[in-house]
Amino acid sequence: MSATAAPVATPGARRARRRAAVVGWAFLAPLLLLNLFVVLGPSVATVYYSFTDWSGLGPATFIGLDNYVEAFGDQKVRQALLHNVIWFAVFLTVPGAMGLLGAYLLSQVRRFQMLFRAIYFIPYVVASVVNAAVWKMLLSPTSGIGHLLGIEQSWLGDPSTSLLSVNFVVDWHFWGFLAVIFLAAMQGVDPSLYDAAKVDGAGAWQQYRHITLPGIRPTMVFIVLMTVIWTLKAFDYIFIMTEGGPAGSSEVVATLMYKQAFNEYSAGYAAALGLSMTLVTAVILAVYQWMRKKGWEDA
Amino acid sequence: MTASLSRRRFLAGAGLTALGITSSSLLAACGGDDGGSTGTGTGTGKIDFWLDIQGDANQKYFNENVAAAFEKAKPQIDLNVTYYKGQDLRRLIQTALQSRSGPDIVRGPSATQTLAWSKAHVLADLTPYAEKFGWKEKLSSWAIEAFTMDGKLYALPMRVDTMLLYFNKTLFEQKGWQQPTDRASLEALAAEAAGQGITPFGSSNVDWKAAGEWLMTVFWNHYSGPDALRQALTGEIKFTDPVFVEAVQLLKGYFDKGWISGGVDKYFAVPSQEIGANFGKGTVAMVPQGNWWMSQVGQYFGAKAKNQNEWDWMPVPALRPEVKHPLFELGIGGSLAINEASKNKDAAAEYLNWYYGDRTAALKRMADVPSTYNIPIDFSDDEIPSSIDPRSGRVLTSLNKAVADGDYGFVTWTWWPPKTDVFVYEGLEQVLTGKMTPADYCKQLDQKFTEEKADGTIPQLPAKGSGK
Repeated sequence: MSATAAPVATPGARRARRRAAVVGWAFLAPLLLLNLFVVLGPSVATVYYSFTDWSGLGPATFIGLDNYVEAFGDQKVRQALLHNVIWFAVFLTVPGAMGLLGAYLLSQVRRFQMLFRAIYFIPYVVASVVNAAVWKMLLSPTSGIGHLLGIEQSWLGDPSTSLLSVNFVVDWHFWGFLAVIFLAAMQGVDPSLYDAAKVDGAGAWQQYRHITLPGIRPTMVFIVLMTVIWTLKAFDYIFIMTEGGPAGSSEVVATLMYKQAFNEYSAGYAAALGLSMTLVTAVILAVYQWMRKKGWEDA
Repeated sequence: MTASLSRRRFLAGAGLTALGITSSSLLAACGGDDGGSTGTGTGTGKIDFWLDIQGDANQKYFNENVAAAFEKAKPQIDLNVTYYKGQDLRRLIQTALQSRSGPDIVRGPSATQTLAWSKAHVLADLTPYAEKFGWKEKLSSWAIEAFTMDGKLYALPMRVDTMLLYFNKTLFEQKGWQQPTDRASLEALAAEAAGQGITPFGSSNVDWKAAGEWLMTVFWNHYSGPDALRQALTGEIKFTDPVFVEAVQLLKGYFDKGWISGGVDKYFAVPSQEIGANFGKGTVAMVPQGNWWMSQVGQYFGAKAKNQNEWDWMPVPALRPEVKHPLFELGIGGSLAINEASKNKDAAAEYLNWYYGDRTAALKRMADVPSTYNIPIDFSDDEIPSSIDPRSGRVLTSLNKAVADGDYGFVTWTWWPPKTDVFVYEGLEQVLTGKMTPADYCKQLDQKFTEEKADGTIPQLPAKGSGK
């Protein structure tokens, strides 16, 4: 029989542990301080200002829940939220489907794979302001691509197509990124599974459906989560290409917030909108974490 | 120097940061209180000035003829100029002002928006400087009164604005078209141009969302008329009055006929550069634009633009018999103020005094760069340098006459309160896309106007009749 004695912490060991802890905190301190200033401070301020009537300049007047009550009944907010939902649906499905297809096709080629990966990826690394400005010209009804093809459609100027037109440009710049991400995930799938499937007579589609897709499921779930967050943050392309117009037809909550804060001098109301969106994001993250714990991601 | 960080300033700076706006507020707030004075001292040292002048040539002109000239005249002051894009500048300055930082000299937006800044107490009271330097004698009284609230002068008017109807002179000569002076001749011309596949009027809000208010300014002034506008702005009548609703209906009618930019969808989608190029080529006949466009319109004509055409401008025709012709809207495009948090207010005031005080230099700048440096100073027609482009000179003499005769109107971006002003162009989009009727538009406009007027957020109108 052997007995293991509990380690006795000597004063020297305690000192060493304490020192290690101090060193660890010292390394963390700059980041914590930075977060305190750029995350916690503004967060607290946003909560405060969301309960005030504040122009963005000068003093604020406490008005309780008035901003939230107003936001709840504001037709502009409802319309912007609806646009966020439409944006999410398209932004999730179109680049996702193209990314999956692109990744699969890339995984099947051996020669020039790196070249194609780079080509797909280039739009993603070009600054959004450049992409948006170029596409704004390309979509011009009097000199753009459509005009050259004889299509008389004002893609950005027609309220029925403005939101989807901007979304198209965002999808165009984004799908290559997803293709590369999905390709990396596909390369992590155990090759022996494909060999076994082939022996069992599985075709390409069956292999893709029953091995590839389940194999990259954690990546796909993560992308869905991030798409929700990216959707709520959607701003730059819309602001540059349409500024939410015409007549609010491409307005999303982020652009509405900006206008409220800077054009309408309603920064308190904008803070309430921002905080509401943060809460929506928090709920989505909580649901995601809960599902992960339940093992949904790996099922 | 004391390092103070009040709760309000901490929350204010952090609040804007949290809204997604880059702000150096917290660090700036640690900078302590201002050490500037008001109306005393001689002013020396460095002053920061953020500006929105675009293009190398324009910036070079400012650097050489304004900044360097000032430093030569006042060698003890170092003028540090930084250039930004127009919309970026306003956002950056607004954020900086709230966090008690930013430039010493504040290039503010239009009078009505600057008023909102003033009410937030982020701009210094210029009254003592105005008295010290005699600014009220140097600047036109109508313009300086627009920036006076409760007896305090909070900014100086930067540029005189009006609306003009630019036209392709060569096209007019080729077609034998006469300059229209009333609605009937304007509409006859528009119909004829449209019938020949020429877009009668070019306009776009793609690069400047607020361009819609230029159109509303034209239609309200030349259809409703300056008398009705004065009555509405002073609260004697409502913006729901048929004379205002009909002006909106008329504008929408022009869009529906395809006379403006070929239709609403193109107005929202064709970049202004393209409108300008088509104007130069002669596929667009006329462009209702501000006098500030005079410094850009030349690029679309002549050898550089690969055409042989010439441009000119005419006063906007009267759209109702009761409205005078010619009539020029009067307004102020932008302002120059001093940051309340500036540590060097006296030096900033020295710059303003130099900029507005030297009449000869100011008139030379007006002659050198069309409609960009048109500060509202009083001058006679024969004082205008002969080197000026005649078309640009005609704007100056026309405005002088309009002010002298009292035949002037009101631009929305100067005389409407700030939130109402935003609604003028935001709401117009709803009208043009059929989501709102002209009557509802005017009703909502009136509600916003009434609220802001009650708050006192409205610039002071020039006295009726002959101005100065």
